[in-house]
Amino acid sequence: MTAQIELQNVDKHYGTFHALKNIDLAIDKGSFVALVGPSGCGKSTLLRSIAGLESISSGTLKIAGETMNGVPPRKRDVAMVFQSYALYPHMTVERNLSYSLRLKGMSRADAKKKAEEVAKTTGLSELLHRFPRQLSGGQRQRVAMGRAIIRNPKAFLFDEPLSNLDASLRVQMRKEIRSLHDRLGATSVYVTHDQIEAMTMADYVVVMRNGVIEQRGRPLELYDFPANKFVAGFIGSPAMNFIASSIDASGTRLIFDEYSGESIALEQRLEPNRKVIAGIRPEFLRVASEAEANFHIEVGTVESTGSATYISSQDQMVTVVQSERTELKPNDRVGLKVDSARIHLFDAKTEARIVTDAG
Amino acid sequence: MGRIVSSITDGKGFDLLLVGLTMVFLLALAGVPLVYNVVMSFQQVDMFNLSTFSRPFAGFSNYVEVVSQPEFWLIIRNTAIFVFGSIGGQFVFGFALALFFMLKFPFASTIRGLFLVSWVMPGLVVGALWGWILAGDFGVLNAILKGIGLIDNTMFWKSDPSLAIWAVTIANIWLGLAFNMMLLSVGLAGISQDLYEAAELDGANGFQRFSTITLPMMRSTIGAVLALGLIYTLQQFDLFPAITEGGPANSSNVAQYWAWQWSFQLFDFAKGATVSVMMLVFVLFASLVYVWSTRHEVRG
Ligand SMILES: Nc1ncnc2c1ncn2[C@@H]1O[C@H](COP(=O)(O)OP(=O)(O)OP(=O)(O)O)[C@@H](O)[C@H]1O
Ligand SMILES: [Mg+2]
Repeated sequence: MTAQIELQNVDKHYGTFHALKNIDLAIDKGSFVALVGPSGCGKSTLLRSIAGLESISSGTLKIAGETMNGVPPRKRDVAMVFQSYALYPHMTVERNLSYSLRLKGMSRADAKKKAEEVAKTTGLSELLHRFPRQLSGGQRQRVAMGRAIIRNPKAFLFDEPLSNLDASLRVQMRKEIRSLHDRLGATSVYVTHDQIEAMTMADYVVVMRNGVIEQRGRPLELYDFPANKFVAGFIGSPAMNFIASSIDASGTRLIFDEYSGESIALEQRLEPNRKVIAGIRPEFLRVASEAEANFHIEVGTVESTGSATYISSQDQMVTVVQSERTELKPNDRVGLKVDSARIHLFDAKTEARIVTDAG
Repeated sequence: MGRIVSSITDGKGFDLLLVGLTMVFLLALAGVPLVYNVVMSFQQVDMFNLSTFSRPFAGFSNYVEVVSQPEFWLIIRNTAIFVFGSIGGQFVFGFALALFFMLKFPFASTIRGLFLVSWVMPGLVVGALWGWILAGDFGVLNAILKGIGLIDNTMFWKSDPSLAIWAVTIANIWLGLAFNMMLLSVGLAGISQDLYEAAELDGANGFQRFSTITLPMMRSTIGAVLALGLIYTLQQFDLFPAITEGGPANSSNVAQYWAWQWSFQLFDFAKGATVSVMMLVFVLFASLVYVWSTRHEVRG
């Protein structure tokens, strides 16, 4: 595999603000990479740096093997789909689609034919003569996609393209974008703050925080082996439960400090008396009988969506998800069970994953 | 009675009241004088029947006489130079400045604000200033042009018949520059940055972005600026008495100044009215073109 987009030691400063810190990233040809992270972490900045809309302060950026530092956006041959869509309001759908071709000097007739082809693959054939203001949000989204596809660029860059759509349309467009990517054999970088989008669409997910890449990997790798507490909390919904804990004097039991010192046997020995954070995903906690329970919570809220029931503790620190309905009520005391192989351990100070033999 | 009061405090009556006040104001202060002016251009007016409204009907004789004046065509030509020169100059320089101040550099908006000085100054003062700048032997403009070697001989801007109309036009360009720049800046600020970025990624260079994004998106703003420019230029009066008084020998005289001369120097009010009606027809025509050109408003 050759890297289609390659960033080496890339830094970006806005005045005194350090927006991207020593970014190293290689994106293979044909892969779909999602950039996720909380608001303000530098996702858009990274994407815009690849497009050339922002200049990088230091480091090297290569697209298809060529160094792109200082090359203007129009010569980078990448296409971008904006959150706002950025359709040209004074042009019809057809002219929006064919704009880039006409700039390259393609004849009006050829450009029109090409626009019609692309309109067919994106389901816009009926709308070619409309102006953007006469389209629905989903249709605008398709025009923005079509405008990117028609150029057959070296890479597609998406900046939160679905965030203006309603939930059901978003699910549908997710699939369409991914299948379009596969059909075109394209290379795509997709910025989103929605980790579900990232998990379902991407081959690789890159998690960022404060201008730093925290972890990269296949979606399930991030879910199963988060490198630190931040990634663990960011990936997965509802978010992972974190419980301040410690290892007992023998190094074989995990003590839940916040839950009156209840404890559970560890899979393997760890350094005695070490302070740790135990991370347990809500879907791996089970309401259990007194005999089985590892620790207990006081129920705070019980919410049900029909397919899933969410039970949260009064201190809001622990949430349990189960598919069965429940009779539990606020203020009930309930025992919870967890398989100790499912517990992630993080160092209390560095918040890094504590690597055990099990993984 | 109660219903009328409540309708005025919170019903349709309040809307009608507001519209009514505006209409009364417009009719009394713009409509009536306009009609009166048109009527007067078809009448015989002299010092004795000035104060009555029933004067002898004159048909088109005022128009025939105005057109057959020896200076008529000269004044038409001057008016055309003044109007198109001013609008063109104001627009081109105003647009250039507006684009320049869209660049992000320190104090851009402060410096742009300073340009408003030309807008708040009374025309007579601007006229006097430019009168000095354009003066023949001791004027600043001549000194500069000579200094950088563009001219060898003194240019008599105000007294040379071939230059005089240009002298007033230059002053008027300066006067209207800020207005043009401000309106065009507002138009430019309304174009989202995304569009330029999208166009840039689509492969458009600077000139192509200007011609395919900026200009079409600015169409209605440009139309408004040009239409208002036409109106302001046609009503620009102060500069003429301050700089050339229409001279020498009408070589810088324009329609609006001529109308004033007919009415208030020669006291031939009918001819003054006639000239201004001719201007009115021209402005009406231009307004129609403007309204027609903006009928497909496209924005956002
Ligand atoms: N032009 C700029 N000047 C100064 N700081 C900027 C500029 N653009 C972005 N920043 C800062 O850089 C950081 C990263 O911004 P960026 O837009 O990349 O965030 P993001 O991850 O895309 O967030 P979001 O999810 O909200 O879109 C933010 O803290 C932002 O304030
Ligand atoms: Mg962003």
